[in-house]
Amino acid sequence: MELLNKIFVAPFAEMVEAPDFLMQVLWEGLVSGVLYALIALGFVLIYRSSRIFNFAQGIMVVFAALTLVGLHEMGVPAWISVVLTLGVMFGLAVTVERVVLRPLVGQPDIILFMATIGITLFLIGFGEIIFGGENKQMITEELGIPTGDIVLEPFGGLLILQHIDITAVVVAVLLVTALLLFLNKTRMGRAIRALGDDHQAALSVGISLQTVWVLVWFIAGIIALVTGIAWGSRAGVSFALEVIAYKALPVLMLGGLESITGAIIGGLMIGMLEKMFEIYWGGPLLGGNTESWFAYVLALIVLLFRPQGLFGEKIIERV
Amino acid sequence: MKTFTKLAMAGALSLGLAAPVFAEGIYTPNLSYRTGPFAATGIPLMNGQADYMAMLNARDGGIGGVPIDFDECETGYSTEKGVECYERTKAQAVVTQPWSTGITLQVLPKTNTDNIPILAPGYGFSPMANGKVFQWAFNPPASYWDAASMIMQYIAGGDMGSLSGKKIVLLHLDHPFGKEPIPVLEAMAAEYGFELVPIPVGLKEMQNQSAQWLQIRRERPDNVVMWGWGAMNAGAITEAVKTKYPMDQFIGVWWAGHDEDLKQVGADGKGYKSISWSMPQPDAPVMADIKTHVVDAGLSQQEDLNSVFYQRGLVISMILAEGIKAAQDNFGKGEINAEELRWGLENLDISAERLEELGMTGMVPPFKTSCSDHTGHSGGWMLEWDGEKFVQASDLLMADAAFIAPLEEEKSAEYAEANAPWPMNEACE
Repeated sequence: MELLNKIFVAPFAEMVEAPDFLMQVLWEGLVSGVLYALIALGFVLIYRSSRIFNFAQGIMVVFAALTLVGLHEMGVPAWISVVLTLGVMFGLAVTVERVVLRPLVGQPDIILFMATIGITLFLIGFGEIIFGGENKQMITEELGIPTGDIVLEPFGGLLILQHIDITAVVVAVLLVTALLLFLNKTRMGRAIRALGDDHQAALSVGISLQTVWVLVWFIAGIIALVTGIAWGSRAGVSFALEVIAYKALPVLMLGGLESITGAIIGGLMIGMLEKMFEIYWGGPLLGGNTESWFAYVLALIVLLFRPQGLFGEKIIERV
Repeated sequence: MKTFTKLAMAGALSLGLAAPVFAEGIYTPNLSYRTGPFAATGIPLMNGQADYMAMLNARDGGIGGVPIDFDECETGYSTEKGVECYERTKAQAVVTQPWSTGITLQVLPKTNTDNIPILAPGYGFSPMANGKVFQWAFNPPASYWDAASMIMQYIAGGDMGSLSGKKIVLLHLDHPFGKEPIPVLEAMAAEYGFELVPIPVGLKEMQNQSAQWLQIRRERPDNVVMWGWGAMNAGAITEAVKTKYPMDQFIGVWWAGHDEDLKQVGADGKGYKSISWSMPQPDAPVMADIKTHVVDAGLSQQEDLNSVFYQRGLVISMILAEGIKAAQDNFGKGEINAEELRWGLENLDISAERLEELGMTGMVPPFKTSCSDHTGHSGGWMLEWDGEKFVQASDLLMADAAFIAPLEEEKSAEYAEANAPWPMNEACE
């Protein structure tokens, strides 16, 4: 009886009793969800255009953030460091396409996936040599990102909104909007989508595979930099950031590997639901740390009913 | 060619393939982690360890005239890689320094058959203090249970009865290390009447602890005690600042007292405390020797010589060096083996006089080990972040030995029974 109370009554009673706390939980979940969605977007873009599951997306976040901070430590002004970091990410995109992807054109998907694991291991070792393993401070103030917070008192309670979190949400929304406009309204964007829909048909009308691959890896690099700044502002920049990439995997399972909308909605859903579950059910009933597995269980339940994810394309193969 | 070498090194580092190279002297490998999610806290410690041994080699020609072959095997704090490193280095090593509670627990049974001492200063399984059961394991100068006891005494202001009715949150890494203080804190909660609320932090949640700090906000604890490591510490401290948790009610274990973690929040972290069995002493004579023989000679990778973790690394190597010296003196030879070092570690006498001779007065409290006490229970100081650096915030605090000893006895007996047949050192009283 007590168990049933803890599952079906107490959490909802607490939500009604402390609506300010519920709002804080939802806000924190929204911020986490936006950041998960950003990482997932990097995966989706590359997968859509090349059918490659880019295992290196997580380390690209670390690499971009470390490059930015490293350049600034060398005395380069903050915004010039951003521009130079974008240049480095473009260089990385060109190198990956030339050295890793181009020689593997036509190989099975699993080979290309393994190649991205190779890129991950290389970037970890290379990054350690260049930047060291120490935790570095993100140059939040130098970039003009507001710090501090807004304290509200809804229902006579307390709601704290960090300026950094608000900025992360706004920038993520702008980035996604720009990305959607680019994919839908520009010639190159349509080329990326065409390649994702049908490789052979896209190649036959003259779309350059190499150019598109460089472009999507570069866009993934831009997303990695934005993600790195947002996450790095919370607790510093170190190789520990790489593990956050694993948080994007259930987002992809839930939203579907090909869908940008799926990455966004999947990220937001997981961010908010895992936070709600941890606070109202996971902590009191299971001792906490349910965020480590909740998203995977949720994604698996969705896959039971929709194997292609919520927004993925249903594949019908005729044999 | 230089680029190729760098790339090869990068590949080797990322794959953890750095193979041991045996030089002349006493081989003392360190299962280090300069890579991975915990590298930020590992690097200054490993630098301190390496620099102390380099200083002894440069200044004294080693210990007792025998050079120290100090080597590192990279684990990335991964238990699997740590066990691999142990297996790879054990043949020539006189000691294993596992550097993770998870790795320590894995290699603990192996050391009985490999006859090699484990040196785990301030970490590992707390009942390793019982030398009768854990004859090959040493965790001087203080155990995690000592840390928990000292922290609770500090919170209680010396009157443990005052803890009655209080609520204490234990924010801990969801890992063997983070769970280590739970048995002693549960026993203390039952004895002194406070409520203990453990809140785990998963490895993937280290940098985003908003859920944990929302729970803390809901619980409204009197104090938060943190058993954090690596990226978890900076994550927790930034969340504490963000949620406006009073910093003077927030205390970490000694691995959660890293200068770089607090620099992330700077002045906002003022008042945060960390129990510590080591204390930075910038003016200690040993620091001048480190500068002359190691830093100026270009042998050091460390930038901040006065950070808590770097100087703790120096103390850790000093403990090993003193064990080697004790063994050399007792057995009357320079080239000692693992079994002889076991004797040395069991007969450490780091007195105030000896610390003065070493030029390390005040860097660690005096302590002694024995056949039955492999920890030494040195006590420690509370350090406080003043906005820029850690400063001393208490006199020497001592763990409640009378409370901890029966628990050490009980848990070590349970361990031996669960791993039977487990060899006992019957020579110990």
